[in-house]
Amino acid sequence: MARYALKRLVQMIPLLLAVSLIAFALIKLVPGDPAVVMGGSNATPAEIEAIRRNLGLDRPLHVQLFSFYAALFQGDLGRSLLLGQPVTEALLERAPVTLWIAFYSLVLTIVLGMATGIVAALRHNTIVDQLVSVFALLGVSIPNFWLGLMMIVLFSVHLGWLPTSGYADPLADPVGFLRTATMPAVALAMLQTGLLTRIVRSTMLDVLGQDYIRTARAKGLPEARVVLRHALANVMIPVITMIGLILSVLLSGSIIVETIFSVPGIGSLLGNAILRRDYPMIQGGLLFVAATLMLLNLVVDLLYAAFDPRVRVDR
Amino acid sequence: MTRSRLTTMAVAALTATLMAGTASAQSVCGRMGGDLIFALEARVPGLDQHASNSSATRNVAMNVFETLITRDEQMNPVLELAESLDVAPDGMTYTFRLRQGVLFHNGKVMTSADVAASFDRYRRLGVDRSILEPVDRWETPDANTFVLRMKEARPTFVEQLSAFTVPVVIIPAENAGAAAQQLPVVGTGPFQLEEFRADSHVKLRRYAGYKPDTRHQGITGFGGNKQACVDTVTFRMMTEPAARTAALEVGEIQGVEDVPVTSQRRLAGNNQIRLTRLETFTMNVTYPNWSAPPTDNPKVRQAILAAMDFEEIMEAASEGQYKLNMGFQFPGMNYYSEAGKQFLNQKNPAKARQLLQEAGYKGEKVVLMTNREFPYMYNTSLVMAEQLKAAGINAELLVLDWPAALQKSINDTQGWNFFYTGWITVIALGGPQTMRQMAPPNAVYKPATPDAEFVTHFQALSSGRTLDERKAAFARAQERALDQVMAIPFGAMPKVQAVRANVENFKSYYIPRMSGVWIRG
Repeated sequence: MARYALKRLVQMIPLLLAVSLIAFALIKLVPGDPAVVMGGSNATPAEIEAIRRNLGLDRPLHVQLFSFYAALFQGDLGRSLLLGQPVTEALLERAPVTLWIAFYSLVLTIVLGMATGIVAALRHNTIVDQLVSVFALLGVSIPNFWLGLMMIVLFSVHLGWLPTSGYADPLADPVGFLRTATMPAVALAMLQTGLLTRIVRSTMLDVLGQDYIRTARAKGLPEARVVLRHALANVMIPVITMIGLILSVLLSGSIIVETIFSVPGIGSLLGNAILRRDYPMIQGGLLFVAATLMLLNLVVDLLYAAFDPRVRVDR
Repeated sequence: MTRSRLTTMAVAALTATLMAGTASAQSVCGRMGGDLIFALEARVPGLDQHASNSSATRNVAMNVFETLITRDEQMNPVLELAESLDVAPDGMTYTFRLRQGVLFHNGKVMTSADVAASFDRYRRLGVDRSILEPVDRWETPDANTFVLRMKEARPTFVEQLSAFTVPVVIIPAENAGAAAQQLPVVGTGPFQLEEFRADSHVKLRRYAGYKPDTRHQGITGFGGNKQACVDTVTFRMMTEPAARTAALEVGEIQGVEDVPVTSQRRLAGNNQIRLTRLETFTMNVTYPNWSAPPTDNPKVRQAILAAMDFEEIMEAASEGQYKLNMGFQFPGMNYYSEAGKQFLNQKNPAKARQLLQEAGYKGEKVVLMTNREFPYMYNTSLVMAEQLKAAGINAELLVLDWPAALQKSINDTQGWNFFYTGWITVIALGGPQTMRQMAPPNAVYKPATPDAEFVTHFQALSSGRTLDERKAAFARAQERALDQVMAIPFGAMPKVQAVRANVENFKSYYIPRMSGVWIRG
């Protein structure tokens, strides 16, 4: 397994280089640059040129690309054009915020999605099943920005239970974290929960019809043991596959949710960088997100082995 | 050399002097202490006031930094860090005497060396360094005197130097070597930087060593007698309007930079919240591209102008909160004129068709380049497109994101016919600054050859010795600009802000001014 993990890690290097090259090419192709954004609509071309010079954007593209890679190989992602802060520092400041909320959201997704999916399968074709289906349908249908705003109106303005925005470090202030991160995490989790509920329900229905389940029941095993011990292990395979996908959606979906709840995470940082054409921040941010997703997918692949002995990752 | 004070400066300084003494003994604060949390609608990109003309930067930075000369409540120049300004009769020398005992946030006394270093940095990387174009050099004959020697007399120089778009803020000499966006945030203002967390918040703390300008009774514009009443101000970046408003309603924050129209009625009925307005804030503007057909033809442009109903456009743009405006300045401003108002809001499709026929218009596409980031610009373009279609013009929207549209409007002379924007500081800074947008070499409407008549009026505006001369030139320039359709001012939109009812003395302005604002106990 260690050899497999190492091999995957080495494979990530050219992939990340390709990601950075594509990111560089794409953002240079898109019209609008940070000098124009900083100068505004009333700036003269001379003023914009002055800003471009100040930011080093007047250098030829290949020189800018070479500088980026030269710095990258020394672990330096450059300096944000607009924040004046090293990109690595800015990313490291915000990554924990996004990852904690994504993690919280993932936990909510798994717990809710699994529970509702299993219950719906066990109560197949009953009112419970129909209610769960409606819940799943709402989950996949409600846009997270709308849900976020509605939660603010209900839980902050009317009930006064939760703050409208902000963020607290879960290690320093766990209660503060739960208060500030619950609405963003729920807003992010709803879509994934709906999807997971449907997958768990259909997989569970499929598994419950298998011969080995019938055998287990015929042996007189209690229903809870049949479900939790024999059926659930097999349901977990597609769930683990989903987790990799869910994480990537949670990370990308965080742009909107972080904006609504004023959470200073990677999503709002990158979204803002794109709007302002902060090239080093976009390149560094995309590289960071790509590396994070690749690592998470590697972890997911390794988890297969833990749940399914038929998978041999050493090969 | 015999020196005479510039009239405007003399008025401001004299008024200030008369107020001295009474003001010095008084505190403008009803109560001291507390943390005031104010939500901004945009993210603050940085606090280098020399190198950014972002309004988000200015919102925070102008509570930290100060200038030699700035603008008062009525947008007239007013001295700030300068004790006096003498202008030589030939207009070739400007001598600033500095206020004594002004401290930077690092505890150092401000001297003319710091002023010179600040001007050096501004000339090197200041965004609006064309302000210093007519200046030949600067000198520091002693620690309290700063002298500007001009290449040529420029009667509007004081207006330009006092502009707040990208002001020449005074920084300690030791920081003047800082690269763009890396300026240590050390100024002379009533607040000093405590913490800047990009994309989250900026926290300012009252500077104990601040020396208020006691020539004034209270704050005026960007200057005046500034006093920090609260211990700290936290500017939180909350870009989502509904969330921002909700936070104000529940008391998590004490003020918001902008209240969306949809929330204004609800907040107006809440006695815990007070709405404040700056009635004429943004001028909703579009300008044509003179280099691209068919808007290279003056008759086509005039037809387009004739076809439009400004009320319909402004209604959609501002959700009903607007005032039509008959020119490029707002009523009450020095340069306000209604010259050329006959060209605005004509609502005359028949005249438009007639002009199109005379122009030989054959249904060529008129591309309205807009964006969705600013809904008022998008809505303006949408309604304008429909009105043009009704007049027989083949109008088509080109929707880009803001940076892309902006860059195209600056760099490209083809592929678009109208560009939408909002003029805020441009208008506030006065007539010459506004007309500069339409004057060569950087006229926004991309003329292949500048309009000779307009250029003549603009030169008279720039070189007029008296305000009356300049006002007359402004009126002529405006009439010509509207006749030839260099830019179209649809109307004015307000800036509506809100604070909690226990926040005292907050008045809407071009930045959220935190001096003199206190929280009632």
